[in-house]
Amino acid sequence: MFNLTRREFLQLGAASTAALAAGSGLSALAQADELARGGKDFGRKSHKERQGIPSVCLQCVSGCGIIGYVEDGRLVKIEGNPEHPNSRGTICARGQAGVNQVYDPDRILYPMRRVGARGEGKWKRISWEEALNEVAGKMRELRESGKPHEFVFRYGRNRVTDYTDRFFDAYGTPHRLNHTTICEGSKQVALQMTWGKGRELADAAHTKYVLNFGCNPYEAHTQHSSLVQRIVEGRVENGAKLVTFDVRMSNTAGRSDEWFPVKPGTDAAVALAMCNVIMEEQLYDEKFINTWTNVTVEQLKQHLAQFTPEWAEKISGVPAKDIARIAKEFAGNRPRATTLSYRGVCAHYNGTISERCISLLNIIIGSIDQKGGYGVPKGPKFADVKPKPEKVKLHSELAKPKEYPLATHTVSQLGLPLIKEGREKVSIYMTYVNNDAYSYPDNNLMTEILKDEKLIPYFVAVDAYMGEATALADIILPDAIYLERTHLDKDDPYGMVPYIALRQKIVAPLGEAKSFHEYILPELAKRIGGGMEQYYAYGTVEDFMTVQLGKTPELLSEGGLDYLKKHGVWYDKTKKPAYKAHTKEVKPEDLVGTTADENGVITKLDDHGKPVYVGIMIEGKALKGFSPDKHFDTGGKIAVYSKVLEEKGFPALPTYVPIPEHQNLKADELIMTTFKVNVHTQSRTANCKWLSEIYHENSLWMHPEAAAKRGLKDGDLVVVTSKVGSQKIKLRVTEGIYPGVVSFADSVGHSAYGRIASGKQVTDAEDVEDELVWWKDRGAHLNSIIPVTVDPVGGNQGWMDTVVTVKKA
Amino acid sequence: MSKGEVRYGMVIDLRRCVGCHACSVACKSENDVPLGVFRSWVKQVEKGSYPNVRKHFLPSLCNHCEKPICVRNCPTTASYRREDGVVLIDYDKCIGCGYCIASCPYQVRFINPLRGTAEKCTFCQHRIDNGVVPSCVNTCNGRARVFGDLNDPNSEIAKLIATQPVQVLKADSGTEPRVYYINPDAGAMKGGYGPDSKVHLERGRNWSLSTTEKGRE
Repeated sequence: MFNLTRREFLQLGAASTAALAAGSGLSALAQADELARGGKDFGRKSHKERQGIPSVCLQCVSGCGIIGYVEDGRLVKIEGNPEHPNSRGTICARGQAGVNQVYDPDRILYPMRRVGARGEGKWKRISWEEALNEVAGKMRELRESGKPHEFVFRYGRNRVTDYTDRFFDAYGTPHRLNHTTICEGSKQVALQMTWGKGRELADAAHTKYVLNFGCNPYEAHTQHSSLVQRIVEGRVENGAKLVTFDVRMSNTAGRSDEWFPVKPGTDAAVALAMCNVIMEEQLYDEKFINTWTNVTVEQLKQHLAQFTPEWAEKISGVPAKDIARIAKEFAGNRPRATTLSYRGVCAHYNGTISERCISLLNIIIGSIDQKGGYGVPKGPKFADVKPKPEKVKLHSELAKPKEYPLATHTVSQLGLPLIKEGREKVSIYMTYVNNDAYSYPDNNLMTEILKDEKLIPYFVAVDAYMGEATALADIILPDAIYLERTHLDKDDPYGMVPYIALRQKIVAPLGEAKSFHEYILPELAKRIGGGMEQYYAYGTVEDFMTVQLGKTPELLSEGGLDYLKKHGVWYDKTKKPAYKAHTKEVKPEDLVGTTADENGVITKLDDHGKPVYVGIMIEGKALKGFSPDKHFDTGGKIAVYSKVLEEKGFPALPTYVPIPEHQNLKADELIMTTFKVNVHTQSRTANCKWLSEIYHENSLWMHPEAAAKRGLKDGDLVVVTSKVGSQKIKLRVTEGIYPGVVSFADSVGHSAYGRIASGKQVTDAEDVEDELVWWKDRGAHLNSIIPVTVDPVGGNQGWMDTVVTVKKA
Repeated sequence: MSKGEVRYGMVIDLRRCVGCHACSVACKSENDVPLGVFRSWVKQVEKGSYPNVRKHFLPSLCNHCEKPICVRNCPTTASYRREDGVVLIDYDKCIGCGYCIASCPYQVRFINPLRGTAEKCTFCQHRIDNGVVPSCVNTCNGRARVFGDLNDPNSEIAKLIATQPVQVLKADSGTEPRVYYINPDAGAMKGGYGPDSKVHLERGRNWSLSTTEKGRE
């Protein structure tokens, strides 16, 4: 579409408003001679049209559609792709700054081998041949000696799991350590054990009421741009109300219609009291509860009666009258009302159980999967590329420690500590887009383990930047970043119609960087041999993707991969939003060969004789229901009562679980929480000069009363002490925080990651703006004083639970 | 303004602004704006006392005034106003004297540290002349920014101005800005509009003295 004339573009805009609809911005296109909203860019000096290549952003995980503009072979600009159904042509500051990721002067561009002591920072450039032979040689030796399970793969933002799973299944190691529980693992577990899907999709664009618990979509979210633009749309165009419960005045809280500061970890008490009010006031959806949940109205009423607003006020600090008022407003807008929740709820010791309490609000008002309600995401399915190696059956105590059987997204923060404990022997540790020496709790401990050559004899980092962890590697394989590689991508669709996107190479990998899934993995497999090579007979990554698209004939009929290369994204424009998918009837042909059990659950046996969920009998009809997650048998309905929780000794019905450390706090103790800011993504963006210029120094937020009590004032340097350590940071005294809480933003305070992030150069390369970097203060990173903690159900790190004292430095 | 004459302007609807700085960075990238200076910026204001605290955002950029003091005060006629209302700088004529910077009531001008000349938002002249909205409008997450022809009654911007109460910054300065705000916070509209106000602008000027030769285009 990039060669269209302006007139053609306008016609396209008028014809396919579903693709381009971007709020009020387009409504006048047909009448007025408006300028085009996007899809084209021009050189500032040359005025020549730039070459635009559509792709998918990866500055965070939202997966917004982008167009990369290239001039003289150089990526000069990134914009939103107007055809993308989720992000609809917009991207955030991080997405715009993707250009900085390519041309970071401290980027690692050649394979390097450590020559000094581990972590000393002395490197020798080597050839790819030498690097691959070394890594493959060690991997082959391990595998041939029957010990592939001494290989550990640790990854951060991995969007190529189709390829990495294939490789490590073929290799034979069960140790795939992801990072989900240092983010939102417990939220996903809570949702999976409640209704099957681990994700939620608030239909914010069409809602009348958003009840937000500890989520900050104005600054960050797993679908940041896509969600926030719909919240704005809902508010401005439908008059939707946004109410936020947060310990801190985030940008979301500061722009909400109402903000209620809440004591950390007590959101569940507020939600339960609201549920109680809704039941007492008869504002619930009786039919939905009785039909689609595994509890009755009477059971719920009885259970919730104990959670009065007055009780919740004592626990949370939120006034009882406000709890009752907001509950009635929320339910009064049903079904066009939804909750939002994120790390403010799930990154606690009680994260999973609390998240289930928030979900209950949507369930009792029957807003589940309704227009303007709380949606169940629908995703496309990719076909398997054969031959595909069998899944490794060995158990991994590092990924799935025996103490946490319900933590189905692994317990990321325990990976390294369990290596130290000797739970599994490690010979090779390979990382991919990972920085466990920065991003994890107690990161000094993580650093110590990574440095220990007895625990980790060989450390391979696949990375583009010298992060705190990669700096401890023995060998570095320079990775092609997201703007330099190609693979399929998908995410939950706000349009309620599945879409498939293509992350495609916009510029060639810089220097000698190589793509992990396109080059490094196949090359290693060939060199390791022993049967691994057979799984790489598929040819190129294009051949791989072509097979994957085989389950989507509608896309193939429009050109398949060629369509994606041209447009960057595809969805079936003839499909209507699939609300209330659970009420759809199962197709007669899908019922052939099925059986229904005494609860009406319809299953069919697969090739291995295992029953697979097909649907559920409701009032004599076979309906799709809520498809259970593979880990939890929720039986086609919403499991408000969780048998699996009961079996493991946890509360089966949603309830409030106090955080042990927060009971009986001493007079000088405070609870420390963490947060994200609108221009950074975790450990990964402080190297972007345009982002760090805006946000480079963080501070510890503290309420004026708490500061006065300690004789502290705004701007003071303070020492924060927890049970695992002390660290200095600058104080920010603000009215925007719960008095018993202090809070700091992550993403800055790097001790490595290059000159922009830390002031420490990695390479000798010069940047034209080196002398213009005007900021010296790069903030503080307080992860070192956050102990490793685990939500005993879902496994989440309790980021928001740390008890600290604060004194003047 | 006669019919048929294009008069460009921008509306920033602060009900829709999420303060995300996508505009700030898009502008850096689109216009090669060096570190230390910004053509486009989002001011943040925190107001109230606990627990009744609010946040307000105020994106700012050149107002492309109908009566620009900067143009009037430029001794070399480097600063000029196009027929469509876009205020621009001819870098060949600019001597970097800084009079325009001092005379702008909105602190949107600075000396480019690499070029040594005055600089500011051009409404992405190179884009609008080719039929595409400015980069900040293109990327705006909340769709708070609307750009178009104020003289075309059918344009979205004209309709917005006709149906919504709008305000301009420092209306009493007589400059007649062509950047309009819907629902701005009165407090945020006072005082400085730039990044940490003066600091960066002055730095930019100082740097230009030492790096002009090295960085001159």
